[in-house]
Order: sequence, then C-alpha cells, then structure tokens
Amino acid sequence: MNKSILGVIDATTSNVSLEPLLTHRSLAAVPFGGRYRLIDFILSNMVNSGIHSVAIFPKYQYRSLMDHLGSGKNWDLNRKRDGLFFFPSPSFEAELSGIGAFNHFSHHIDYFERSKQEYAVISNCFTVNTMNFQPALEKHIQLGSDITELRHHAKSLQMYILKTSLLIDLIKTRKRTDFTCMRDVVESSTHNYKISRYEVPGFAKMIDSIECYYDMSLSLLDPSTWKELFMKDYPIYTKVKDEPPTRYSNGAVVKNSMVANGCVIEGHVENSIIFRGVKIGKGAVIKNSIIMQKSTIGSNCSLDAVILDKDVKVESGVSLIGKHDHPLVLQKGSTQGALMSS
Amino acid sequence: MVKVNCVAMLLAGGKGSRLNSLTQNLAKPAVPFGGKYRIIDFTLSNCTNSGIENVGVLTQYQPLLLHSYIGIGSAWDLDRKSGGVTVLPPYTESSQVRWYSGTASAIYQNFNYLEQFDPEYVLILSGDHIYKMDYSEMLDYHISRNADTTISVIEVPWDEANRFGIMNTNENMEIIEFQEKPEFPKNNLASMGIYIFKWSVLKDYLERDNENPDSSHDFGKDIIPLLLQEKKKLIAYPFSGYWKDVGTVSSLWEANMDLLKEDCELNLFDYDWRIYSVNPNQPPQFISETAVVAESLINEGCVIEGEVRESVLFQGAHIGADSKIVKSVIMPDAVIGKDVYIERAIVSPSVRIPDGTHIYPDDDSNEVILVTEDYLQWKKAQ
Repeated sequence: MNKSILGVIDATTSNVSLEPLLTHRSLAAVPFGGRYRLIDFILSNMVNSGIHSVAIFPKYQYRSLMDHLGSGKNWDLNRKRDGLFFFPSPSFEAELSGIGAFNHFSHHIDYFERSKQEYAVISNCFTVNTMNFQPALEKHIQLGSDITELRHHAKSLQMYILKTSLLIDLIKTRKRTDFTCMRDVVESSTHNYKISRYEVPGFAKMIDSIECYYDMSLSLLDPSTWKELFMKDYPIYTKVKDEPPTRYSNGAVVKNSMVANGCVIEGHVENSIIFRGVKIGKGAVIKNSIIMQKSTIGSNCSLDAVILDKDVKVESGVSLIGKHDHPLVLQKGSTQGALMSS
Repeated sequence: MVKVNCVAMLLAGGKGSRLNSLTQNLAKPAVPFGGKYRIIDFTLSNCTNSGIENVGVLTQYQPLLLHSYIGIGSAWDLDRKSGGVTVLPPYTESSQVRWYSGTASAIYQNFNYLEQFDPEYVLILSGDHIYKMDYSEMLDYHISRNADTTISVIEVPWDEANRFGIMNTNENMEIIEFQEKPEFPKNNLASMGIYIFKWSVLKDYLERDNENPDSSHDFGKDIIPLLLQEKKKLIAYPFSGYWKDVGTVSSLWEANMDLLKEDCELNLFDYDWRIYSVNPNQPPQFISETAVVAESLINEGCVIEGEVRESVLFQGAHIGADSKIVKSVIMPDAVIGKDVYIERAIVSPSVRIPDGTHIYPDDDSNEVILVTEDYLQWKKAQ
C-alpha cells in the first residue's frame, strides 16, 4: 500500500538566462521535448507515484501555466476528493527565496492543514526526470529522518520529503527561525532535525540556463536518455491536442530527430526537436535546432543552433545561425523576414 | 429537458466481416484509420463540428472496445450535462432479448431514447464511413424543402454503382425510385447511408415496420421503399466531398493511401474542421540517424530506424534498421524487426514481424496483404 503523500510544486522560480523564453510564461510552462512543458515531468512523477493531491504555487505570468494545466484532467487530477490546486502568490512584491518559499505557503496554510496526507514532497518545477517518490519515502521512514533531500550525482535536486505536520511547523515558525525555504532548513546547523540524502537513480537534470535547456533538449536524441525518460510504466502526461499525425512529403529528409504531431515536413531536418504543428518548407535545412509549436519555416531557409519559440515565422530564404554553446533564440510570435536579416 | 431540434443516431454495430481478421475482436467503426484515428471518429467529429450535441451510438457486435473508446464522449466534446453521447447496446425486455435485427429495428428499439428528447428531426448515420460533412447544412436543406426524408447522395463511379443503393431522382432532386445494389443501375447517385427524418414520420413508419412480420427491418430494404410507395416526400441531398466506405481490406488500404496524396480532398490539417480522437499519451516520434522517411503520415510514439515510403504509421509502431516499408499501413504498436521488406500491406495492431521477413504481393496482383499473426505462421510454414 502506498504511503500517502501530498505534492507541492514551487512554480515561482524564474531564471535570468532563460529570459527570452519567459516573456509570456513561467519557467514551469517552458515548452520542452516536442510536446511537453517542464512542469509535466514533476507532475507526472507525482501522479505516477500515487500522489492524488498536488498544490502548485506560481507567481509570475501564470496564465499559460493555468491554460496548460486546466482542471488537471490530463494528469488524472480532476478529482472530487483532492486533485489539483493552484495557489498564486497574493502579491508580486512578496519576497521569494528558494524552493518552497514559506512565506508564499503561509498564505495558503489552510490547504496544508486540511490535507490528510501524512507526508509531503516539495519540489521545484524545472527538473527533467522520470522517477517514483515511493522508494525515497520508504528510505525516509526507515532511517527515521525528519527531512530527506533528494539528490542526483550528489547534488541537490531541490526536492524534499518531510511530514506534512513538520512542514506546517516550519511555515508557522518561519519568522522566529529565519528559515525562508526548504534549503535554509537543510543547510542550517541550528536545529536538531535529522536530515538525510537520497540519491535519485536514472537520469535527472535541472534546467537553469538557456545553454542547459538547449543541451538537455538535444540530449533527448540519445537513445539512452530517451529510454530513461520515456518509460512505459511511467508515462509523462501533458495537455493533449487533437493534431493529425505528422506528414512527410516526397522531398523530406529527416535524421536523428524528435518530431511531434501535426507537422508538415517538406525540407531537411537533422539533429533537432520539432514541436506540434510546425511547418517546414521545401529546401529548408534545419540542424541542431529546437522549433516550438506552430512555427513556420519557409522554403530554402537555413537554420543551425537556433531555438524558435512558439508561432515564429521565418520567411523563405532566411539563414539563421547560432553557436552550439550559445544558441540563437527567437521570441514567441516574432517574424524573421528575408529583408531583416540581409 | 430542453427541447432539441435534431438527435443523431449513429449505427455502430457493424460486424465488417469483409475486413477479415481486423474485425475479429473489433466492431468495424473501431478499426484504426489514418495513423491515429478510428473510423467512427469521422462521424462523431462531424456531429460535434455540425453542432449536434445529442448522439445515440447503437452498438451490438464486439462492443467492449468501442464502448470504452467512446466513454462519456469527452474526446469529441460530447460529454454534456444534458444529452451528449449515449451508448445504446441491445438489451433484454422482461420476456425477450431484443437483438438489433436490422438498421430500422435498432432505431425502433431505442424509441425511448428518442422520445425523451421529442426532437423535430432525427439524423441517422453509419459509423463506418470516412468523410467530413456539415450535417447542419443538410438539415437546413431538409427543412427548406419541407421533406419527410432527406437522403444524402454522392456520385460514384459507374462501374461501382452496383455495390450501392442507387437513387433515381427527378430534376427537383425528389427521389422517385430506389434500387438496392442494382445489377443495371440507371444512375450513379449512391446513398451514403445518411438520412434525416421528420421524427413524426419516422415514428409512424418504425411502428408499422415493427408490426410487419415480413419486414427485414432495414432502412434500405424496407423503410425507404415503403415511404416511396406511399408517396412521401423524399429528397436527395447531393454531397460532393471525399467519402469512402472502408468496408474491405483493400478499400481501407486505399483510403489510407488517399491521405498521402498532395491534393488529398480529406484534409486532416484543417483546424476549422478537426477530426477529434482519443489522444494516446505518447512521446514524439523518433526518427533515427539511419532512417529515411518520405510521403508518409506518422503518429507520435513511433520509432523509425529504417526506410518508410508512402505509408501510414500508427502510434507505437517500431521500424527496425535496414527495413523498408512501402505503400503500407502499420497499425498501433506493431513491431517490425530488422531487414524486413513490406509492400502493399496492412500490418495488424501489435503484430511482431521477425527480422528478415519479406512481404509483398505477386508481381501483377492488385492484392493488399493483411498481415496478422496467423498470416506470419502460414508464411513461415510455406
């Protein structure tokens, strides 16, 4: 029998380096892997671990996040009892510091107090991995820990397991203890809590910069990464769309790429991630690039090391070349015309 | 309950025996089509896109998968508080089990379902055709002509006309004669199996048909001829878009191949008329370093390491390295090994094709091979 766990996702984090992708969305809602958003991974991990109550704490630009999550139906979190909860920050001014900012939580303390789950998992919203929280919880109980910090390759994953009652205490006593978030507690030596570490098996990566986002995306093309992320028993859920299958024309050449549905591919695609509903014209050559939803690339374009956000239009004949250690990012909805680049 | 104008009755009990083993455990409307859809998606999506929110789906043959697929209709936005989709299987009455003996008896036995809405009009559909059609336009036509019954018709090739119910009309599109699968058709206007009735008229004829012990309780064979005989106003509604009865292995294959044409009339990419479906939760398709893909339609969840040309691949299909798939349909979760050659075939769901297998029709045959576990056993024994 599963030990009951409450899921808490801190979606307040922002990151300067990822800014070009964050003008209209929170980090949690950054598109990833052809059809997902970053939050899909942690949310699916929670659901696949038998977590039925998940609270999401966003702060900035959460419209796209709310649109993505909806009622939680796609994650089976549209429930009469428990389900998906959305707790925006009561003010933009409120200070934030680190994963599980207690001040933000304190505004929604009722949720924690009403929850019946004995344990809670607190997590960031930008880790890409596939895991089950139950073995970590088993270990937590077995060791008699107060707080377990989940780690990967001996580095904190900014995910924590603790008793819900302890979490409530930490939130309520934050002014006296000066602990503002989970990391403060874990890194402090001024308390007597028993802190343990748990090494998460498999693949895990925190997306904290554009370069990291780019490398991590392209590493999905490595079959071993692919296999560790997309497991049959632990599906990654996302908002489904009614896109038709992707259509490859007679002249299409596609190699070593991940392609989502609803695309029409007439050109050459190599070593790239193509999101849903992308159109790639005849004679276009796309290499080492990430093309997000509904972007269109005209004929005879040449793209290398480029990230196109959603709805970007690249007119015919345009050449866009970024660096492999510093990809070129085009913002959502922008148009790259032949005249502009000449 | 709010009075509804038009209720659709979707006949989905078809056995589809000409699809051979594809329909052994599956009703024909649930047969996979077009890389991610099932045949019934087209009719259900037409209903949603036409603004028809009350749809009764009549099932009988192998209903398990069809029932779970339709569910509460949420995939087609038909999970309404009032109405929406209702699955209508045959049921027992106190004295007897009432199997649906014909299309008309199926509707008659769901009299209560229709009565609760007391609609003005009833739209009768079949769940085994591939087409896009705005039923609200047909309904407007039906109303403007003040018809008792409107039957949607399409021009079919003359040499195929003997496979269909043929409508002979006068210049006002009034139907004056109906020939069911005539040896010598006078016309090439075929019935698409889509009828709109005034409920008051349909009610009367269904009740009379039920009393008639000589009737086979079928719209084409009994109800339509009787309406004609009694000089009711029957109007043909001409339809000109893509329409295909995918009743045989080769027509199912052809309809899939039609989707690959550059100028395909059935546009799946038209966002104003989406074909809704239960979306499987699958990762994007992975096209490997060694893959070649051209003129194909490929769904999410596929892994392709070999060559795919002029083919349709459903979710979860895996094509091994050095394999070549030509002019074929690969159904969900079929796994094709290495060094395999397949041409002009439909590979059944979840079939595993061993390395080195070669499957293609004889040189000059127009055959389409249906690849099943049984076929592979037979081939191995050869």
